[in-house]
Amino acid sequence: MSGDKAILQVQGLSVGLRNDPSARILDNVSFELGAGKVLGVIGEAGSGKTVLARAIVRGLTEPLTYEAGQVFYGGDDISSLSPKRLADIRGNKIGYIGSNPAGALDPTLPVGEQIVEKLLSVSSGLSRSAAKKRVLEVLFAVRIPSAEVRFHEYPFQFSGGMMQRVMIVDALVTNPSVLIADNITQALDVTVAAQIIRLIQELRDKFSTAILFISSSLPVVETIADEVLVLQQGKIIEQATPSILINAPQHDYTMSLLARLPRIWGADISGPEASDAPTLMAIEDVHRTYMVRKKGTFRGMNAVQAVRGVTLDIREGENIGIVGESGCGKSTLTRLLAWLETPEQGTIRFAGEDLSRLSRQELTKLRQSFQLLLQDPYSSLPSRMAVGRIIAEPLLIHGSFKKREIRDRVLQAMDEVGLDRALENQLTVGLSAGQRQRINIARALVLEPRLLILDETLSALDQVEQSKLFELFDKLQQKHGFTYIFISHDMALVRKVCHRVAVMYLGRIVELADNNALFEDPVHPYSKALLSAVPTLDDHPFKAQEYLLEGEPPSPVDIPTGCSFRSRCPVALAKCETNDPDARVLVGGGQVSCHLVDENQPAPNYQIAAAV
Amino acid sequence: MYLLIFLSRRLLQGAAVLLIVTFAIFTLLRVVPGDPARLIVGGMAPDEVVEQKAEELGLNDPIPVQFIKYLGEIAQGDLGNSFVRARSGSMGGAVAFDDPSRGDRAEVLDLIIERVPLTLQLAGLAVLFSLIISFPLGVAAGLNPGAWQDKLAFFAGSIFVSVPNFWLGIVLALLFSVHLGILPSIGYKGFEYTILPAFVLAIEMSPFIIRTLSVSIAQIMQEEFISVAPLRGLMRSRIVGAHAIRNASIPLLNLFGIQLGSLLGGVLVIEFIFDYPGLGRLTINAVLQRDFPLIQGIAIFISAMFVFINIAVDLAASFIDPRLEY
Repeated sequence: MSGDKAILQVQGLSVGLRNDPSARILDNVSFELGAGKVLGVIGEAGSGKTVLARAIVRGLTEPLTYEAGQVFYGGDDISSLSPKRLADIRGNKIGYIGSNPAGALDPTLPVGEQIVEKLLSVSSGLSRSAAKKRVLEVLFAVRIPSAEVRFHEYPFQFSGGMMQRVMIVDALVTNPSVLIADNITQALDVTVAAQIIRLIQELRDKFSTAILFISSSLPVVETIADEVLVLQQGKIIEQATPSILINAPQHDYTMSLLARLPRIWGADISGPEASDAPTLMAIEDVHRTYMVRKKGTFRGMNAVQAVRGVTLDIREGENIGIVGESGCGKSTLTRLLAWLETPEQGTIRFAGEDLSRLSRQELTKLRQSFQLLLQDPYSSLPSRMAVGRIIAEPLLIHGSFKKREIRDRVLQAMDEVGLDRALENQLTVGLSAGQRQRINIARALVLEPRLLILDETLSALDQVEQSKLFELFDKLQQKHGFTYIFISHDMALVRKVCHRVAVMYLGRIVELADNNALFEDPVHPYSKALLSAVPTLDDHPFKAQEYLLEGEPPSPVDIPTGCSFRSRCPVALAKCETNDPDARVLVGGGQVSCHLVDENQPAPNYQIAAAV
Repeated sequence: MYLLIFLSRRLLQGAAVLLIVTFAIFTLLRVVPGDPARLIVGGMAPDEVVEQKAEELGLNDPIPVQFIKYLGEIAQGDLGNSFVRARSGSMGGAVAFDDPSRGDRAEVLDLIIERVPLTLQLAGLAVLFSLIISFPLGVAAGLNPGAWQDKLAFFAGSIFVSVPNFWLGIVLALLFSVHLGILPSIGYKGFEYTILPAFVLAIEMSPFIIRTLSVSIAQIMQEEFISVAPLRGLMRSRIVGAHAIRNASIPLLNLFGIQLGSLLGGVLVIEFIFDYPGLGRLTINAVLQRDFPLIQGIAIFISAMFVFINIAVDLAASFIDPRLEY
């Protein structure tokens, strides 16, 4: 990158903490961003990525303080500009997109109005109607369907992916020459994240904007960046083009980062093999619909069909994964499996017992055998209770144990999950997410369950902590013969641990297959689309250009007739519109609901024309 | 369309609430001691006159029958006649039972309608004053949690909430009317008579507004859309003025709907102290004189006002924040 073409130059930027003079959140960071280039920044949680993004545009808040360094934009040092000159650059010449689109705009005002407000406040002499016209133009450019209508809608009416498109519009509407994208795909589903990345790639050419692309996912950065910086503990430790960085990393940290990346595809990669075992939990044709009041009507109700006929056998001692985009009914299914809600149709049997026929006492007793582990390790633990007491809680609820026995079992469970016994009488304040999740596991463990339902249990943790917990799950499975249900959107995780995988779409399981069969030879077009969106450095068998879908799943209120996937299916047939495909058992033992299957066995192959 | 559906649903609910309230008030007043017929004709009237009056008023019918008759009258806009007040305005309590003025009782509705504008003026001015006092204190406190502005708001609120309104009323009257002579404080002969009582009411209300404002502003300033707004290019004045206060006004509106009750309670005492001829003084006199139709009428009127103001508050809140739905 040549210096004379650089549009943004960061020189020796250091950021510290107000109360701790020795702390360095950013330490002597220097780099240049060339006009129209994409510079990737990769780093783990806590490496200072977001601080860097904000420090560049002088957006640090207490207790963060600038210690040293300059940021030059077109010859001006941003860090010493007057507020008036700064206002001319920030939000105008330098756009910013954050990681949480859902919280980025005022929830009480229409999105269009807010982008107009921003445009007017940074560009002088623009009329309101001209600003509105410009906003609509850019809304069209990011392909938000029916942009004129959505202009007047409120943030809560947008899905995460659509809202991130809105924020892209918000940043690009002033035609900035630099765009800071701070982990913009973090909060999104894989498919939506892949769409956003594709969109950014297109827009980059259209707007000729230089992008500082910050992300915690190396595969994502690799697809988009011209050059990559590796940030570790506030320091830039390596800078290279993506291919050099991946193939010939110089720094140890980069190497370990690469080594820790989960592998999904490759000659030496294979998922756990499924084996036949007796059924532990049998789910038969369960349905769950929620009635929600229709806004703007007197007594109208919307039927949200969250789960529509799921049939699934869970085998003793296996790991089964349930995957799908958000809104596909995963969480509702979890609640049904944990019997927190009852299906309005269909049955769930655990160890042969129909849960709906049990008396209250029998159910409480049986509940000890299947336990739910929640996603958020922070909100799922009471903050005013000692760790030991939290873990003892289930024992106090279920049955009459002696005080001494309770304590023994609590300590034993703490040992098993690797929690220090000294924590027994402490509060959870200050414990890391990993520690907290261990408490959650111990709490489920004291009852000696047979089935653990994990609802995104590991997605809040970083890679290192995740793999440690996996080892723990594995150990517990060896020792107690546990069965795990992993409900997850993380395909890499599912690939690594699950024997079988069920793919959900709009409240149904569209494909159920063994791990290797699903990842290497998926049958349902939706499974292929989902896999194509997975970011990986591996040689991707499902190229996003060929398989990735546009748009988002339809609302569970208005489910398309016939095959519910047909509205997004690239290979939909005429009969898909009228006939709902039944689940077919394939030769290898997998099941799939698709009309393509019954016509030409085995799995049909197809390609989608590359989307523009 | 949304407005129409909202109003029709909420007004129906409100009518149901009012019906229940009316029934409760009506029944309670029927079971408390004190014979209305005796009150009307006067203590010195012979028993047969009392009996005759009771029969004439339908007081010997079962309570549900009386209630339905009463509802029928309310539907025609007739809240009944006062037992003791004459149309001329004079009190008829001690007049002999055969005095001709007994037949000429004031209509309850007229009595209320005559007083309402004055009370509304008092309450409106009080709300205005309390907003003028609370906004600078509350917003500054919310923007600078932990700083001197926050402490100032806390101290001011603590003092305001601890000062008894009857004491403050008397002291202010002494200061401004007696010593300084700039503001009148007894009776009502013009707008300036509203200022002192409204100020006392405002002091009583403002601690709650200050607290709600500072807490909700402080909370909203932590929201992500506020913290990224400067990066999007918005100026601080705009962020606070157009977004933070807008979002903080919803808890404030809700507080208002609830505070209305204590405002009315405050009005009773304040109007009495300042001899302000509003609804509050009318209520106190009606209670002292056991003027049942008047008490009933005022109670129903106030609960109706309560219901409608809360509907208005909810409507306003749902216009500010479309996520809300009532």
